[in-house]
Amino acid sequence: MWPFDLVDWVMLSIPIAYLFILVGSLYTFSSIYRKRKAYRAASLEPWFSPHLQRNVYLSLLHQEDPKVPDSILKAALLRRAVEDISRIIQVRSQKQALQVLLQRGSVGDDLWQRFQRAEKEIEDELRDVVSEANAFAPNWGQTIFQTASELAQNAMLRDRVNEILSTAESEHEWWDKRKSKIQADFMKELDEEKVKSATEGSVAGSVAGSVKGAKTVSDDDAVLVEGGGPAEKAGKGKKKKGKN
Amino acid sequence: MESIDTFTLLPLEMNPSTKEITANPANAALEKELAALNALHRGLLNAGTPNGVPPPPVPVNPTRSAQIGKLRESGNNEFRKGNHAEAVKLYGLAIGMALGRPHWEPSGLVREEVSGLLSNRAQANMAQQNWAEGAVDAEASVEMKKADNSKGWWRRGKCLLEMGRLEEAEVWVSQGLEFGAAEPDLVQLKSDIEKRKAKTL
Repeated sequence: MWPFDLVDWVMLSIPIAYLFILVGSLYTFSSIYRKRKAYRAASLEPWFSPHLQRNVYLSLLHQEDPKVPDSILKAALLRRAVEDISRIIQVRSQKQALQVLLQRGSVGDDLWQRFQRAEKEIEDELRDVVSEANAFAPNWGQTIFQTASELAQNAMLRDRVNEILSTAESEHEWWDKRKSKIQADFMKELDEEKVKSATEGSVAGSVAGSVKGAKTVSDDDAVLVEGGGPAEKAGKGKKKKGKN
Repeated sequence: MESIDTFTLLPLEMNPSTKEITANPANAALEKELAALNALHRGLLNAGTPNGVPPPPVPVNPTRSAQIGKLRESGNNEFRKGNHAEAVKLYGLAIGMALGRPHWEPSGLVREEVSGLLSNRAQANMAQQNWAEGAVDAEASVEMKKADNSKGWWRRGKCLLEMGRLEEAEVWVSQGLEFGAAEPDLVQLKSDIEKRKAKTL
């Protein structure tokens, strides 16, 4: 054939081999590089803890014997949406701060990579939830996150109210105690005032009498102590002797 | 979290008759989650919506709102007649009803209702000189709605003052003034508290 006879195949094989080796080595390098990068990204610690609600939902969905009824699956999907809402709020609020920190060089690149992965994951997750919701009921996907956000808000609100209202009993008890104490103090004050005004004259005599009595008593005590002292000492001495 | 295509299979079981989901073996977090799930499931079943999904937050089912409104009215009537204990009871019922709204209904509405009802109950408690209960109710009312709730702020401040907790009352009222810009009642209460403090010192 005409054109092929003129070609010197041996000489042509050299540039072809050159091109082949060049492209081949570039491809190998890039694929290894990308694989390593992906591996490193995957080995980074995930931003969020495992998504428990998602696992529950998917476990229920894949349960065969017996099949889980739709109503439970819907509830599980809602729970999953509630968790997603809290995650997306976290991601949104953290993004700004993290960007600033990254620009200033206060945080490493690793953290940013982890964050970006989490962001992508949560986006996929939201899309997945919407499509699942639409599979259960037409147009549910449009309202499921509204519903989920109200669920989260309402749960928080009820927790707060119940927490505060549960202190009512202890507060009541405290106030009862306090009230009776105040009343008692008040009554005592009143009594004291009464006693003072009624028996002002006899106070002096009785005090003098009691003082005398106290003196005699203390004298007796002193005598008793003196009497007991040496006896005790002797006892101790004996014990010691016995030991030796 | 795992990638989009994978998940961790959890050891879940369903009770065929009650439709309760249980885990075996379970840990604390999973158990809590399943309890929430079962509660939500029961709520969804009780709601009885056509295709078993919760309706969008608005519009709200009007029956419950009407019942709550009715209870509040009768509470107000009892209060005006001077049956304060009865009023406290009615307000309590209304609060229970407002908190018992299905959880997917707007939380803002619940806040509004509960804050008003708690504030009213605080007043009824104060009328019976139950300062402790009044203080707790007013605190919860404020927690539900901080701005535009000067009555709630004032009521807890007053209760604290009556119980002689002057320090707390002062802090509380000055916080309230930050939210309810120079409400005359609150300003008056603040000066009362300061007077009492000056007397005891």
